[in-house]
Amino acid sequence: MPIITVEKEYFCKLIGKDMSIQEIEERIPMLGVGWEGKDGDKFYVEVFPNRPDMLSVEGLARSFSSFIGVKTGLRKYVAKPSEYLVKVDSKVSKIRPYFVSCVICDIDFTDEFIRSVMQLQEKLHITHCRKRRKVAIGLHDLDKITFPVVYTTKTPDFKFVPLEQVREMSLEEILKELPKGREYGWILEGAKEYPLLHDTRGVVLSMPPIINSEDTKIEESTRNVFVDITATDRKAANEVLNIIATTFAERGAVLYKVKIKYPEGIVHTPVLETRSMSLNPGYVNGLLGLNLKNHEIIELLKRMGFDGLEISKDKLEVIVPCYRSDIMHPIDLVEDVAIAYGYEKFEPEIPNIATMGEEEPLEIFSERLRNLLVGYGLQEVMTFILTNKENLFTKMNMKERPVAEIANSKTTEYSVVRNWLLPSLMEVLSRNKHHEYPQNLFEVGDVVILDPSDETGARTRRRLAIVLCYSKANFSEMKSMVESILKNLGIEGYEIEAFECPCYIPGRAAKFTIDGKTLANFGEVHPSVLEKWGLEMPVTAAEMSVDILFEIIEKSKMKSRD
Amino acid sequence: MKHERLISSLHEYEKRMLKLLKDKKELDVEEIAKITNLPKDSVEKATLWAKLKGVVDTREEVTEYLELTDEGLTYAEEGLPEKRLLSLVNDGLTSIEELKKRVDNFHVALIWVKKNGWVSISEGRLAMTPTGKNALMMKTPTEKVLSILRLGRRKVSEIDPSIAETLRRRGLVKVRKSVKKTVYLTKLGKEIAPRIRIEEEIVQLTPEILKNRLWKKRKIRAYDVTIPVATTHPGKRHFMYQAISYIRKIWLEMGFKEMTGPILEVSFWNFDALYQPQDHPARDLADTFYMKIPESGALPEEEIVEAVKATHENGWTCNSTGWQYKWDPEFARKCILRTHTTSLSARTLAVLRKDIEQGALPAKYFSVGRVFRNETLDWKHLAEFYQTDGIVVGENVNFRHLLGYLKEYYAKLGFKKVRFRPAYFPYTEMSTEAEVWNPEHKEWMELVGAGIFRPEVVKPLLGIEIPVLAWGPSLERIVMDKYGINDMRELYWNDIKKLREIKMWVW
Repeated sequence: MPIITVEKEYFCKLIGKDMSIQEIEERIPMLGVGWEGKDGDKFYVEVFPNRPDMLSVEGLARSFSSFIGVKTGLRKYVAKPSEYLVKVDSKVSKIRPYFVSCVICDIDFTDEFIRSVMQLQEKLHITHCRKRRKVAIGLHDLDKITFPVVYTTKTPDFKFVPLEQVREMSLEEILKELPKGREYGWILEGAKEYPLLHDTRGVVLSMPPIINSEDTKIEESTRNVFVDITATDRKAANEVLNIIATTFAERGAVLYKVKIKYPEGIVHTPVLETRSMSLNPGYVNGLLGLNLKNHEIIELLKRMGFDGLEISKDKLEVIVPCYRSDIMHPIDLVEDVAIAYGYEKFEPEIPNIATMGEEEPLEIFSERLRNLLVGYGLQEVMTFILTNKENLFTKMNMKERPVAEIANSKTTEYSVVRNWLLPSLMEVLSRNKHHEYPQNLFEVGDVVILDPSDETGARTRRRLAIVLCYSKANFSEMKSMVESILKNLGIEGYEIEAFECPCYIPGRAAKFTIDGKTLANFGEVHPSVLEKWGLEMPVTAAEMSVDILFEIIEKSKMKSRD
Repeated sequence: MKHERLISSLHEYEKRMLKLLKDKKELDVEEIAKITNLPKDSVEKATLWAKLKGVVDTREEVTEYLELTDEGLTYAEEGLPEKRLLSLVNDGLTSIEELKKRVDNFHVALIWVKKNGWVSISEGRLAMTPTGKNALMMKTPTEKVLSILRLGRRKVSEIDPSIAETLRRRGLVKVRKSVKKTVYLTKLGKEIAPRIRIEEEIVQLTPEILKNRLWKKRKIRAYDVTIPVATTHPGKRHFMYQAISYIRKIWLEMGFKEMTGPILEVSFWNFDALYQPQDHPARDLADTFYMKIPESGALPEEEIVEAVKATHENGWTCNSTGWQYKWDPEFARKCILRTHTTSLSARTLAVLRKDIEQGALPAKYFSVGRVFRNETLDWKHLAEFYQTDGIVVGENVNFRHLLGYLKEYYAKLGFKKVRFRPAYFPYTEMSTEAEVWNPEHKEWMELVGAGIFRPEVVKPLLGIEIPVLAWGPSLERIVMDKYGINDMRELYWNDIKKLREIKMWVW
């Protein structure tokens, strides 16, 4: 989540109250902003993704000022009508269909404000704009543009001088050669023509969402700005525009509407009008466990930058400012009431709800099994479910079988989900070669088995694995232990047969079955497997199916109840 | 009686030694061994034990002895090479060339016959001198020493130092230090020695002794209980599983019912059902493990899918604007490894909808399970870890109750001070993050995200809109704090030495 840098002096000027950094540190988290630390007269805060309006220092100050009671209530913003016209060519509809805009005049560009605007644009691009894929923002010097402006597409050989460059470059060169082109080029992948914005004389403004042109760039002398926003989502485009426009308005700039002419009709942006939403005070109090009076709720809403009217005893009308696109449902207003009330003032309480605690039967069984295993003197381990084919198959002498595979893992070490448990224990042994033997271990843990008949295409299964590792580890000892486990679980009528498996020594492995279902297999681990794990100590191992054991026991419980 | 316990703690060997010393005043270890007929090690050990008990003391004398080396022994038996050379010269063999072939170590021999002035050399031939003639008749002092030492080592002081030095330089003798340990009684030893009686003692009780009731006749020897013993390693539960058991118990005691479910999950339950828009950053490849096999799974019954779709697109009947985008069922079908156990809470709500009329509400559920994040491992990031989710579904539950449950949960884990701050999650509103005060480190630890499920989550799944309190703390931070572990990877490293040494979960 984005972290923004705030200059304390500038911030205090904006909120209209002088506060120490310490005071700000105490209060600002209670507004729903993460405190990330301070450095001299600067501090850092994390803005949550639902509040992109606080990504500018001006927007943050606007909310904080209301929250601490300095400047409460709704801020109204107006964009004056104008004749600025942008024509949207139908060619953009397939690649980047939406365009919104605003003209901002009489801007007092102080150093702090410039830094804030740059930061806002950068952070919006990362978050709300989804790395420019969804929305891209360009700011231009209005006085260098001759209207109307055209939003269209151009072929890859079309040339202009991109920002900070001295020569004309083709759109294709920009994508291949400039850092911004390489960073964002993927957004335009597959397109035959690329989006382009130029004025009526043919002066290029930008190649969205990649780069602006050198010709219309903002300079120290700039006082009037043209905002260009292109998007694949109309709603997000307007949200971003409103955040930018109101940020400038907070610094006293004058906003003008821009007429945008699509083939199918004309729209005017920005749309800075407020919305209203009705709110039931009973709903607020019910959810918060409070007894707030209507005027108190309205007062709290004002502290969050809203306005409120009492329509009737059971109905408030709340006026929502244009930059609060996160307000989707009255519940969002309830949360703001709670924040304004102060999370620290809520008294925690346990409700009187009589319900019965109940464990999952398989979990009860697993816990019993684990406690039984400890009785054999085994040390329990806890291993990762994620692993790789090398561990699951190669190092175990096993042929590769289908297994749940991850498509996008950051590490090759974790590329599949294990489908049996024993390799995890072998890995533990291989890591502990320098420690005292015997190393007799077990784990009751989950594996994932592919199963097209399941809704997820796989089933989570519970297994038990045991390894005995010391100089005299042998088949009989493991056979005795596995048999003892079965007996202690009350399982009867199982049969034993020889088991052929490349991970065990031929003739020294067996399995217990019941009605054709394998309960357990076990044996002396093959020396070539030990070698692959780097072990110089004999190991006998077992793997048991906990689910099947559990089912058998449940069935026999049912029978005895009948 | 005074000293009785001391006497009874004496080993039989110690007793025999003390009795002996009572008469002889002092003896060295070898003498004691000889007289008592015990192995020397046993006497050494008994001396050590007795010394620790303060009944004897020892004095050590270091004596230096000369003894023959292997080479010295050979010469002592076969004669010195210079003597052999001399006798060959005497026999008339004078050519150096010839003598070289006949005498081992010829060069050494030549040096010494010259040094001793036994021969003179000219034109490659040796000629015997009168001194040489004399030497041939008798044993030299060096030879005398060698033959003395052949009989056994001698104290350095008994041998002429210049001869000893010459022999040492020639590597024929070496000096060995020998420590003689003399044992004598201390004051305490003198007091108790007269009272010691030696009788046959029982060391290890055996079935034989019990059967024959020998213990009635013989004394069972007392042990020195302070002597260190070998370490015992119990079969032990892993500390993480112990913590999980405890946490499950906390929820069970508060009347929560357990939920479990698949770790390989369909995106729908992990994200869409929780009102996370399909372009939400949390759904990025960077954070979530997407599956190649199986690539996608099935969506639930149409009624739920349609409601979720409509809620995302336009708010459905939830009185919400929704996210206002086109919801793609294919994207919702993608298989992933669950990023949180909140997927189980979503599944539970969808199951509960069928039982509402049978009086299933209010209801409380919890889960403890593995969750997965596409992370590169480091000291504070793991690709899989544990989360414990909880939900409370009820007409009359509210935000204060949410805080109440969390406060209680942390109190049971030993954290008495909890504070709550606003936070953001796409599926809760009020969202909060709880921090607990760590009195040891004197800092707030951020531990859990929690909130009340948005109506856009609850209504499509449950069919009605009522408050659902929800939380999902991870376990690792708590366990690390309790065990003083700083590197998260250590929790799953399974270092056997550490597992054997780590204390049990005691909270």
